[in-house]
Amino acid sequence: MSEAPRSEYRGQIHQQQKDLMLHWYERLDESARTGNPPAVSLMISGNCIELLEGFGAVPLYPEVNALQLAIRHQSLDPILAAEELGYAADNCAYVKADIGAMIKGITPAGTPLPTPALVLCNFVGCNTYVKWFEHAAEFQGAPLAMLDVPFLRTAEPRAEDIDYVVRQLHEIVRQLEQITGRRFDMDRFREAVRCSARVEEAWSRIKNLARRTPSPFDAYFDAITLMGPLYVYRGSPEGVAFFELALKEMEEKVARGEGIYDQEKFRVVIEGPPPYPFFRSFRDMFATWKATAVASTYSTVGGLWEFGFRHDPDHPFESLALHMLAHNVTNRNYLQRYEQIRRYVEEWDADGIVIHFVKSCRLFSAGQGDMRDYFTRQLGVPTLYIESDLEDPRYFSEAQIKNRMDAFFEALEHSRSIGTLRRGAAALRHPAAGAGNAPVAGERLKILP
Amino acid sequence: MRLAAGVDVGSTQTKAVIVGDNGGLQMLGRALVDTGANVQRAAENGFIAACQQAGVSPQDVGYVVGTGYGRYKITFGNTQMTEISCHARGAHYLFPATRTVIDMGGQDSKAISVGAEGEVLDFVMNDKCAAGTGRFLANAAEVLGLGLDEIGPLSLEARHPVKITTVCTVFVESDILSYLAQGKKPEDILGGVHLAIARRTISLARRVPIEQAITMTGGVSRNIGMVRALEQVLGTKLEVGPDAHFAGAIGAALFAIEKMGESFESGIWRPADAAHTS
Repeated sequence: MSEAPRSEYRGQIHQQQKDLMLHWYERLDESARTGNPPAVSLMISGNCIELLEGFGAVPLYPEVNALQLAIRHQSLDPILAAEELGYAADNCAYVKADIGAMIKGITPAGTPLPTPALVLCNFVGCNTYVKWFEHAAEFQGAPLAMLDVPFLRTAEPRAEDIDYVVRQLHEIVRQLEQITGRRFDMDRFREAVRCSARVEEAWSRIKNLARRTPSPFDAYFDAITLMGPLYVYRGSPEGVAFFELALKEMEEKVARGEGIYDQEKFRVVIEGPPPYPFFRSFRDMFATWKATAVASTYSTVGGLWEFGFRHDPDHPFESLALHMLAHNVTNRNYLQRYEQIRRYVEEWDADGIVIHFVKSCRLFSAGQGDMRDYFTRQLGVPTLYIESDLEDPRYFSEAQIKNRMDAFFEALEHSRSIGTLRRGAAALRHPAAGAGNAPVAGERLKILP
Repeated sequence: MRLAAGVDVGSTQTKAVIVGDNGGLQMLGRALVDTGANVQRAAENGFIAACQQAGVSPQDVGYVVGTGYGRYKITFGNTQMTEISCHARGAHYLFPATRTVIDMGGQDSKAISVGAEGEVLDFVMNDKCAAGTGRFLANAAEVLGLGLDEIGPLSLEARHPVKITTVCTVFVESDILSYLAQGKKPEDILGGVHLAIARRTISLARRVPIEQAITMTGGVSRNIGMVRALEQVLGTKLEVGPDAHFAGAIGAALFAIEKMGESFESGIWRPADAAHTS
């Protein structure tokens, strides 16, 4: 194949994204030097950033630090340092990069990160975090708080689940008041929730623009650019301004009929996080085929808003609980994830699905083989399954992954040339899947021989 | 006559096929050379040998599609395609009823689900591990001091095939040595080795729907012991022809004829180093 075509749009939002993220690191630096603002460690998945706004606290996301190291090809040293300490080869590589970086004093911005006022383990969907944050608290000499969010085992969370999480949020507020010596500002918190609702509305509309052909942006690779501000600034006026600008720029692209490439050839849904150590070459593998991700589950780890959920300033604590329990991909059950992807294929008009299995993340990746079977055998959607890692460069074999990607797109191209490739609803072998074929929570999938 | 070529640069061997289109398709020549360390030269030598066998000049070949792991090293080719597409296309050409392809090569094995037109519907491959590939068999042959050609027929003589528990290409050596130390016969050891690989390959293949007819391609298709072991595990017959080894190159050549269309461009043959081609 020829060189990968240039696939990125450069608008005002790209500069603003850089500025916002730089400002975030400046605040972390200020916190490290003066203790003001206080920093609180949080987990991205179903994060409760709004709560921190009520204290004027700055979030510290270990995943963001880890992926920043990976993108800059600096993740292997800290991973090896953690392994020397005794972390096993198949431990989560995010954990090893984070712990190893702490031991070696490596930080994304080069300046020391603050000691968190609180390591808040908002345990959503990933049980590895329980130990990760416990270790992080130990290594950093910081207090640890557990926020136990029950895994979503029914279609909707029960009233008891919501109440259980809300009571814990109140406890965290009291704990943070004691630790920081600051009073929780209820008005500021409510305002943060209001900001979040506006950001979520803009973000959701941006994602829905990807239903257009051509899609104005890549809902996997470009979405990652927007995810930094989404998690750090969602509850702030800066976040609102940024996402409303992003929406405007994307709407302008749609009005101009502008996609990512001169011609959008394939539309795919991507499941799983990217291989951050090889982010560029992974993107090029799609760009070579002028393939756009029109939707992705990874962009819903922090929150799933395109199907309608919004934080509610009239019920701030309850909506935080609901978000953590039910409206992020990690805390939802597997069949709900299937249904999410199926809707993407149908409503976002996709040709196929690419599943990226992450070797060091058993929790998110377990079951993806069955997921592949469900989409290929039961729904008849072309689905590619590839394996590497999100953080550990040792698991990425470029030649092997490229070979599979090329074969997948060659097959789609060949099928299109003979008229057998279907897109969107027509790609589903059972167009009425929404009614009869889709798995629902609690229903056992039919296992084929 | 319009001429096109497919060159399949595998990890162990390079296969080249020349096809002609004179209203109907004809396989005019084919060649097989060891890939060795110089991938580029192997591609050139294979291509030249296939041209010689076809009785045509390399200059008259209008389009070349390269495939196999070394495809990007083919300096004279027009385009590259993956061996997955090419094996599917080649197998479908050899056996039009093909719906599943099991390809076992030197360093990878794969199963491909194929549509009525030879299009790839789905595929799975071994991942970063040589278990279930030709390399595994080559290691076993080496430990037993046998040639690669001998192990297949010998494995068919097994009366009490041993149980090979490892599918690791490295650790199988110690398994074999320990069976030899126990006085097991080479044929029984080989029977076990072939069955172990067959089971692993079929468990991989079951991830795509296995539908009849099942065609085996790749270098390992020449190993009769492997063909029989796969048939035993599957409980059904495999389609294996004398050209199965060339399926990837044949598929590549068919794509080449198609891609060439009517625009014949002579003289694409520009070897990187003219000295060694004379």
